Amino acid sequence: MILSMGVAFYLGCALYCAAGAAAILYLWRDHERVLDATIALAGAGAACLAAAFAFRWIAWRLVPMTTAADSIALFAVLSTAVMLALMRKPNVRALACFYAPPLAALCIVNAAVAHTDLFTAPRALAGLPLVLHVGMAFLAYALFFLAGMTSAAYVFQSQRLKRRHPTGLFQRLPSLEQLDSTLIRLIGLGYPLFVLTLILGAFWAHTQRDLLGPRWWLAPKVVLSFVLAIFCAVTYHRRRAGRLRGPRLAYQVFIGFIALLAIYLILALLHLRTYNFWGAAS
Amino acid sequence: MSLAVVGLNHRSGSVELLERLGFSANELPRALRDLRNRADGAGVVILSTCNRVELYLHHAQMDSASLCAHARALLAEWHAIPESEFGDALYAFHGQDAITHLFRVASSLDSLVVGESQILGQVHDAYLAARTEQATDKVMHALFQKAFSVAKAVRSRTDIGAGNISISSVAVDLAASIFMELSNKTVMVLGAGEMSELTLKSLHSRGVGSILVLNRSIERAREIAARFDGEPIAFADLDRHLHRADILISSTAAPHAILHPAQFRDALERRAQEPMFVIDIAVPRDVEPEAGDLDNLYLYNMDDLRQVVEENLSARREQAERGAAIVERGADEFAKWLRAIVAEPTIVSMARELRAIREQELEKTLAALPDLTEKQRQEVGYLTERIVNKILQSPMTQIKHEIGHHDPYTVLHLVRRLFGLKD
Repeated sequence: MILSMGVAFYLGCALYCAAGAAAILYLWRDHERVLDATIALAGAGAACLAAAFAFRWIAWRLVPMTTAADSIALFAVLSTAVMLALMRKPNVRALACFYAPPLAALCIVNAAVAHTDLFTAPRALAGLPLVLHVGMAFLAYALFFLAGMTSAAYVFQSQRLKRRHPTGLFQRLPSLEQLDSTLIRLIGLGYPLFVLTLILGAFWAHTQRDLLGPRWWLAPKVVLSFVLAIFCAVTYHRRRAGRLRGPRLAYQVFIGFIALLAIYLILALLHLRTYNFWGAAS
Repeated sequence: MSLAVVGLNHRSGSVELLERLGFSANELPRALRDLRNRADGAGVVILSTCNRVELYLHHAQMDSASLCAHARALLAEWHAIPESEFGDALYAFHGQDAITHLFRVASSLDSLVVGESQILGQVHDAYLAARTEQATDKVMHALFQKAFSVAKAVRSRTDIGAGNISISSVAVDLAASIFMELSNKTVMVLGAGEMSELTLKSLHSRGVGSILVLNRSIERAREIAARFDGEPIAFADLDRHLHRADILISSTAAPHAILHPAQFRDALERRAQEPMFVIDIAVPRDVEPEAGDLDNLYLYNMDDLRQVVEENLSARREQAERGAAIVERGADEFAKWLRAIVAEPTIVSMARELRAIREQELEKTLAALPDLTEKQRQEVGYLTERIVNKILQSPMTQIKHEIGHHDPYTVLHLVRRLFGLKD
């Protein structure tokens, strides 16, 4: 089982790597078959990582969501699942060349550092609410990631139009209106899911307050998640009200996603992700 | 065997000369019959378009020079124009060069607008007309079939047809790259220039939702609106209706800018920042260039559209180089096939001739040697057969080689004379 898990995991990473390379080739040269290959390879990579996830779950009898390797793999699988759902619309398929390279980069990093995580037991998640909380959070991050990449595509298209250079890749990407619609759908799904995740997490933390400390809600991770939820709410509702549209919306979503990444990275590197932050400090 | 093309195109001859030497659809059947009769039953195809007049000929025995002479004579006599008047504009290609030329023409590498798709249809029509008149032969049929497959390969394996190259089509492409669909979009036309009508026509054919027409003269606005099933609006009401326009085509004759950033800012506010595409094709410009800096407003003037056309043309020229490689490969393949087809009758006839000699001589020899046993008679038979095969081997290889490098007619004619073969 462990061997199968290892094979599926590394094969999945290799397939993502190939998908990333194919996507870059498509950005450079217009070959519809290369785009088909990108989507197929990313799909196959996701299937392998999902299999590795299942093998790991069976092998340790624990939902594998806690280690960095598990988290990244789960994020890649969920992002690809949403991407494949989007790709059912033929006129947005070219967006795969924006989604696949960062996923490939993430999988390369994961393959390089995952060895220890993969072959040790994952930490047990206490109860179904926590499993749901973590799973939904990853799905929301996947939606935000895709929204971030879609906004990058929007900025690219808009800049090309503004600079009067509508050739090459521009002609293969979806229209601005299509990108805007995709973007708002992704945020529209990600934002309520993220709020629901926060509510579930808060419920779980409240039941575990003896363990997490009385001021768990002041932990940087919780505060920042709350700020992110407010940011999403403001962005989404301003867009719905027609006050935020086009390049400004795209920039805001892209910068928001980059900020989210940066904050979580800083929290992880400084080991500040504990809920007992203020308790530990005092 | 000879294959040749004689003709003139947009590069070698003037438009006037092309018009004078062209063949109308009605004239074509008679011209094909005439050319076929002149060239002793040669396979012929005549391609006559606005940009080229070309006569393709193939004959199993006649040499290329004679075929070309017949083609030139037809052009001169049919149109009653002395050859001296158009001789300098004519070009002629023979053998593999003629094959490559046809493949380049069909693939639109030789067109005035590289990558245009019309020419393949025109070549197809020319071939069908010749077939209907039973003016094609086996080689012509194979040549044109190969030309169609090469042209399709060039179109599918390169981007030679990508990117529009007319101002109005580029404008429509840009609109399609901003909006998901045009069927629910409103086009506002300001002024009534020729180019704005062309662009409107292109957008109308793509099924835009509604059309608003504004003109200083409301009568003229009504006239255009009626033609495109649109709504005429008084010019004075421009500000009141500007926010309704998803696409604005402006081409008034105003001597200064009539649309300012503030008007667009207001319009964008009223349409909840939904994008606007503004095509300013007026000279001097109708829209202040600063309007292009507004978010969600995409402003293109005539120079911008021309620049896009130029970029698309330059991209097509790059693709044409890739297309030329596909054409070369196709021409090589066809020439190889043709060489095998051409050499075959001569080789067969040469082998038959030598074997007939062998049989005659063998018969004589065996009659003079009655004491030979059956086995010895068989051995002598085998010996002569081996000698004939060895003699044939070298000429067979050399004929195929030589007709690939020299005029096949000359090579095969020489072989036939050397071996005393009948035509």
